[in-house]
Amino acid sequence: MIGLIAKAGLQLVLVLLVAPLLSGIMKTMKARLQTRRGPNVLQSYQDILKLLRKGMVIPETASWIFSVTPYVVFVTAALVGLMIPMTATDAPLSLFGGVLAVVYLLALGRFFLALGGLDAGSSFGGLGSSREMTISAIAEPAMMLAIFTVALAASSTNLSEMAKVAVSQSWKFLAPSQMLAFAALFIVLIAETGRIPVDNPATHLELTMIHEAMILEYSGPYLALIEYGASIKQLVLMTLVVNTFFPFGLSSDWTLRGLTLGLVFYLIKMLLLACLIVMVETTNAKLRLFRVPELLMVSFIFGALALISTFLF
Amino acid sequence: MTFLQDPEFGDRIITLMAALVLVLQIAAVGQRWLVSSIRIFAVQSFLLAAIAGIIAYFNHASHIYIAALLTLVLKAGLLPWLLERLVRRIQIRREIEPLINAPLSILIAGCLTLVGYVVAQSFYHPEETSVRAALGHNTLAVAIALFLIGFFTMLNRRKALTQVLGLLSLENGLFLAAISLTYGMPLVVELGIFFDVLVAVMILGILVFRIREAFDSMDVSKLRKLRE
Repeated sequence: MIGLIAKAGLQLVLVLLVAPLLSGIMKTMKARLQTRRGPNVLQSYQDILKLLRKGMVIPETASWIFSVTPYVVFVTAALVGLMIPMTATDAPLSLFGGVLAVVYLLALGRFFLALGGLDAGSSFGGLGSSREMTISAIAEPAMMLAIFTVALAASSTNLSEMAKVAVSQSWKFLAPSQMLAFAALFIVLIAETGRIPVDNPATHLELTMIHEAMILEYSGPYLALIEYGASIKQLVLMTLVVNTFFPFGLSSDWTLRGLTLGLVFYLIKMLLLACLIVMVETTNAKLRLFRVPELLMVSFIFGALALISTFLF
Repeated sequence: MTFLQDPEFGDRIITLMAALVLVLQIAAVGQRWLVSSIRIFAVQSFLLAAIAGIIAYFNHASHIYIAALLTLVLKAGLLPWLLERLVRRIQIRREIEPLINAPLSILIAGCLTLVGYVVAQSFYHPEETSVRAALGHNTLAVAIALFLIGFFTMLNRRKALTQVLGLLSLENGLFLAAISLTYGMPLVVELGIFFDVLVAVMILGILVFRIREAFDSMDVSKLRKLRE
């Protein structure tokens, strides 16, 4: 029991520390690629601290949902962070079917975010919520298909089991269906974290904004919680992609040596994935909103093909 | 580094790269920009060259190295360069106008991949239980899918230049099938195919140019009328 709490505490600290750092690194990398100086890597921490100290403005029309939303978003994201193998193969928590719980806890956060956007009563919030739901309605099945492909290969939906099987097979885990699933999940990752071909994370001045439109009415500590939650969600999804498809270096136990090595490997892998995402963001223009379903359609087809091709062999 | 000698590792990598080629092919079906399609083709050809190189390395077949090198130079270098130059000279960077809209085309491409898998199934002999047989069959499925999707691309696109791209990816499928099934055809056959493709693209390039000169458009559906 104490061991479990220690593991959970360690991983929680890791998640909370790394998530804003990763957002900061990605912002700086993107700025450098566009030959700007860009913000400090630690800027995300400072933003959160600053927002926590600020006062709040709550719309008159808002009900209790508006105030509950930031907590739900943050808590679901942090909970999911505990359920994903980061540096060791066994995650501290595993609830109701592992990966299914991960996907639907994230969906719960998104649902409340959409409600919060509607609740504020501004027209932008409603726009953002409806767009977010449209996109997630296609992104979610694609994500499930891709994840089921990996789960089938490991014959378990438990993320720790999946990571263990992947680690024990080393490079033999690389199969064409995994490639297709990776492509599907990468597109879903970009859509879910609101990155450029789908949404622009850097601005809330565009009429086509999605995530920023939903949280337009939030300010102060609530905004800090939502932003923190969003960066944890990004970290979690990236970890999911990295550790299910490239499990190299995951430590099989919670010893100090294994964890340090695992952490180093984990950070390197995350940096590589961040580079890939930043490259995609810099080389692509934002898609028109009604083109986004086409992109997600591609991801859905990849997911479906990945799943079917595992059955054909 | 013992796994570098393990033929199973080689087969895994080949299948993985073949799957990547398939992913790119399906992405190309949904692609709207001409230049991006050409670049996707270049990357695909590069991967094919790498597959050929790996097959050559693991089977100690030195003549396949030449095929790999030719693929690299011609299909990943020269042809994309020629096509991009053509695009620049005609000054179209506009979007491709497919006959069927993008989501449906991608769906069809997915179905064609399944057809590829089903067809490849009939080449599969269950008594050969070795891993290699299963993996070769996987690559064959990808090759057939590439071939079919290339065909579909040719049918689906109006512009002559994009039809050339369909033809090229169709040929990539043929190359992949040949190299993964036989582990390399005789060099003379390979050379023949390469020059065939090269000359075909050059002639088609000139043809595209002429079509545009005469009709002010690359839309081949306008070629129905012989006399005005």
